[in-house]
Amino acid sequence: MSIEWYLVVSALVFSIGAGGILIRRNPLVILLCLELMLNAGNLALVAFARAHGNQDGQIFALIVMVVAACEVAVGLGLIVAIYRRRLPIDVDELRELQG
Amino acid sequence: MSLETYGWLVLLFPLAGTVLIGLTFRALPGKAHGYIGTLAIALSFASAIGALFALQDLGAEERQVTTVAWDYASTVGVDAQFSLLLDPLSVFMVLVVSGVSALIHLYSVSYMASDRGYTRFFAYLNFFVFSMLLLVLAGNFFVLIVGWAFVGAASYLLISFWYRRATATAAGIKAFVINVVGDVGLVLGTYFIFKHTGSLDFLRAFEGAGEFSRNDGDLVAGCLLLLVGAFAKSAQVPLHTWLPDAMEGPTPVSALIHAATMVTAGVYLIARMHPFFEQAPAAADVGAIIGCATLLIAATIGLVVTDLKRVIAYSTMSQIGYMVMAVCSFAYVSGLFHLMTHAFFKALLFMAAGSVIAAMAGEQNLDKMGGFRRAMPFTFGCMVIGGLALAGVPPFSGFFSKDEILAFVIARDDWHIVLGVLGYVGSFMTAVYTWRMIFRAFYGPPVEPARELEAGHLYHAPEHRNPATGEVEDTDVGFPGPDHHIAEREWSMKVAMGLLAVGATFAGVLQIPKVTDVLHTFLEPSFHDSRYYATLEPSDSLTWIGLAVGAVLALSGIAIAYRLWVADPERRAVSGLRARLVPLYTLFARKWYFDEIIDTLVVRPFAMFGRFARDVFERVVVNGLLVGGPSGAVRAGSAAVRAAQSGFVRYYAALLLVGLTALGLYFLIAAS
Repeated sequence: MSIEWYLVVSALVFSIGAGGILIRRNPLVILLCLELMLNAGNLALVAFARAHGNQDGQIFALIVMVVAACEVAVGLGLIVAIYRRRLPIDVDELRELQG
Repeated sequence: MSLETYGWLVLLFPLAGTVLIGLTFRALPGKAHGYIGTLAIALSFASAIGALFALQDLGAEERQVTTVAWDYASTVGVDAQFSLLLDPLSVFMVLVVSGVSALIHLYSVSYMASDRGYTRFFAYLNFFVFSMLLLVLAGNFFVLIVGWAFVGAASYLLISFWYRRATATAAGIKAFVINVVGDVGLVLGTYFIFKHTGSLDFLRAFEGAGEFSRNDGDLVAGCLLLLVGAFAKSAQVPLHTWLPDAMEGPTPVSALIHAATMVTAGVYLIARMHPFFEQAPAAADVGAIIGCATLLIAATIGLVVTDLKRVIAYSTMSQIGYMVMAVCSFAYVSGLFHLMTHAFFKALLFMAAGSVIAAMAGEQNLDKMGGFRRAMPFTFGCMVIGGLALAGVPPFSGFFSKDEILAFVIARDDWHIVLGVLGYVGSFMTAVYTWRMIFRAFYGPPVEPARELEAGHLYHAPEHRNPATGEVEDTDVGFPGPDHHIAEREWSMKVAMGLLAVGATFAGVLQIPKVTDVLHTFLEPSFHDSRYYATLEPSDSLTWIGLAVGAVLALSGIAIAYRLWVADPERRAVSGLRARLVPLYTLFARKWYFDEIIDTLVVRPFAMFGRFARDVFERVVVNGLLVGGPSGAVRAGSAAVRAAQSGFVRYYAALLLVGLTALGLYFLIAAS
């Protein structure tokens, strides 16, 4: 199978993730969409690694997973904090940090 | 101890007194601070006597000693050191300053006793003496300027001593501002001289004086600027208007600063700078003429002023005019001799006036006084001695010093004769206004305070009032204290006045023409480089005629004052004169309109300029352009940037995506 198919799938997943972030207002869903984007990146990395025949891309994919895990931990922590303070679970409402 | 040690001790005691009084103002009770202050100055005077003896032990050639404590800066071309110059002139000044100051401190111990600012008063007074001693002991221009400014500051503090009186604070500000004008003159004058001599040190600068050509432009400018400094400090026309106002201060302050010591600093300065002035006779002539003008103007105002202290203040101005005229005519000894005798009799007159004012419960208006002769015999005696010395009646001290000045001025040059003759006119007026003051305060029917005093109790006003404006005051800190003290009842006032009366009577024997010349011999080493010191000498006939004319003028002045104010109780002749000479009387009573002239020429234009600066320059240029321009640009720019910060996370994410996509596309296009 040529690499194009993998890249097309990767681009598709990335776009779905990006679109989800732009459209959805629930922080939980935004977090999920972020994961989608990261995994799209992973897919592309692994596909390129395989096409070029060396292992560097796969190692990168592993590091991205670590980063994703950390990010999920922080993101979920934020969401729990928002919930505990009884703030609205809606990113458009949470805009006190404007300039 | 060596001469240098004595010199430093003279300075150290008043400084230590100030610090000690300032630091222990809560710890020590009652009058202790007054005695500490007096003791400090007395010790300073003792050190001055030590310095005098140590100086006389040196050979005549070596009697100019510079002693350096430390260098402030010795870079290329500037030698700023903390140095003292000990020579006969500075030791003479130190003796006069510390001696008179010690007596005035003693007087103040009683005079200020009930004032709530008692401690503060002595701290200031000691600080003043320290500054004045620093001024006269300075060994270079640098220390001189420091002392000069300190003295001005001390004068301001003491004039505004009763700081809740609006008139006193206004007078203090006026004195300070005019003194700063003088400071600027002194500093600029120093610059003109330093530019050529290359040294701040007096002795080295004096050696460089000979290199100037006669009436060199820079030197004349420098000397004129030094004269501005001297005139502001010594209250000479037209920088004199602060001195009468300075009488708002307590009477001992008037006696110490505004009669005996500070105001003579200008005379000292001119005498100290004699090598420059002799090389620039044009500047010296200007000084002599202004001195003469001042002595006449002040004497005429003194004839009509009705405030007891202001009469003496104008007389001070007038007498300093004599001194300035003398030192600017290169008759240094006579000028300094008059400085010394004047310090004695003028301080005495002020102290006696203070005693009278206390008896009047703060009232200073001569119109309300009268008949104190029997009520206050001691004060009356002192006033008479001071008055005789001031008028120049033989054999009191003022007689010899004033006539020496006039004889020397006449002998100086052809046209100086005019100044000398005008000086005699002034000395006649001096006799009249001095004795007008004495006759009006002590003769005639006794007023109520005098009657009460004769009955044995001191008069107390029903309520305390500002003598200048009549505003009601309390007696708390910032206003005069509740009790008043008169010389008759306070030993310290009596001792101080008695000693000064002795000085005012007998100080003349130091320089009796053709008999003694103690001062001339003593001051010789300081003036060894003077071209006129040894040669300027009035002829015998001039001396004797001068003495005779002086004595006759003084006695006739007193006689006229007696006829006008005592022999004629209704004062018909006085009011007749006044009615006939209305324009002249108005001119004198309005003080020759100097306040008004300065107000129109200087104060108003400056105030207008200030208002213009505030309304136009400050608001439009500074606020609008300089401050408003950059801050407006920053504000507009930040408003544009701030609009992007909406707080919508999704909006940021969209921006991020669009940006990244654009960047990716750019690289793709660039790569292909």
